[in-house]
Amino acid sequence: MRAVAKELGINLIDFEGASCCGTVVLKSIDESSWLALSGRNIALAENRGHDIMTPCNGCFGSLKDTDHVLHDDEDNRKKVNTVLKPLGLEYTGKAKIRHLVEVLYELKDDIRKRIVKPLNGLRIAFHPGCHLIRPSNVVGFDDPELPRKVDELLELTGAESVAWGLKLSCCGSPLLISSEDVATKILSEKMISAKQANANCVVTNCPACHTQFDVQLIGMKDESGESLELPALFVTQILGLAMGIDPEPLGLELNRISLDPIADLLGF
Amino acid sequence: MTETWGKFKSFDGKKFEALDPEFTREVSSMLGGEDLTACFQCSKCSAGCPVSDKVNIQVHEIMRMLLFGLKEVLETDMVWLCTTCYTCQERCPQGIDITDIIFGLKNMAFKKEIAPPGYIAARKSLYDIGRLYEPTDWEREDLELDDVPELNVEDTRKMFDKIGLMKLKDGD
Repeated sequence: MRAVAKELGINLIDFEGASCCGTVVLKSIDESSWLALSGRNIALAENRGHDIMTPCNGCFGSLKDTDHVLHDDEDNRKKVNTVLKPLGLEYTGKAKIRHLVEVLYELKDDIRKRIVKPLNGLRIAFHPGCHLIRPSNVVGFDDPELPRKVDELLELTGAESVAWGLKLSCCGSPLLISSEDVATKILSEKMISAKQANANCVVTNCPACHTQFDVQLIGMKDESGESLELPALFVTQILGLAMGIDPEPLGLELNRISLDPIADLLGF
Repeated sequence: MTETWGKFKSFDGKKFEALDPEFTREVSSMLGGEDLTACFQCSKCSAGCPVSDKVNIQVHEIMRMLLFGLKEVLETDMVWLCTTCYTCQERCPQGIDITDIIFGLKNMAFKKEIAPPGYIAARKSLYDIGRLYEPTDWEREDLELDDVPELNVEDTRKMFDKIGLMKLKDGD
């Protein structure tokens, strides 16, 4: 993300003092604590006159959801501001919450001009993930039933974002904490769908989803013993390669599932 | 059927002693619960749910149990096997915030100590370090990244102490 942002002239400021967003985990345990933890991050950014940008659907969904609740619900806003006051913070709702891909989409024309190494022949099963697009009245990014924005970005590289049956369904990641069995079953169903669509890689825009496809998937097979693995890349790894950025700053050596089957298509 | 969660596994032969309208009202008053009673059982929620075929009790059945005021709902596997994907909420023709209602049920179940152990550990980690996970230093070093920005964990603990995160219990 940093390498691509630099190339596009996006100035990223590390978020000093930020905590975890709490994500769906803390929202599941105690909504008051979740609103406070997530609200503190928003108030901290607001206090500095900054917006928040995250490359993670979990953080994005959690912060957007908190922002939505605190904006509309005076009781909860008062409660959160009561616990923020001793920290010298107040939520008023001035900081915007953005997902990395929202910012990239605004720079679509610029990205198009910078494509120097087309990725023709790459067939991407793009996984938007749940919290980037749903609930649409809260996140407001793309059509929740037929999202196209990130696909448009990926296709600037000459790659094809294939249609696949379970594209919009969950990757299973949030269930790792309650039932690894069910989380894994959901992932295997998705991979069968990606394979049926003849995709040669999966692309994600969320580190939690990415861990499903690049770590949990290792060694997974279908009922007939066929491997369900496909190379898994993060959206900025695809865009960065096509923009001519070296593999190293894009972190390609850290991908767990081998990229060898598509090395030629990726140009290395 | 894969591994399931929760004691309540089937409606077969089940007799319910109490229909508690207070319970329905309590759930309606939680975040996203305001339109709970608009459910007319079309089951579209369950049709799009990624775990419908992996649970004993499906989403539309949870909605029915809530309208009937059946507290046993907190013991169904659907509560903790909901992936929070929001497909049901997105598609509900009555505009009910179904996923958010299930979050409320998780909060209620957690207070009754009906929760997967992972959540107990997650609460401790959020309290102790302000994060769910520790970043992996060697990967950051490989990518020549600076250290993760500092967090004063006393700040987040102060908030959690005031709210009572570590002392959640039934009846609060």
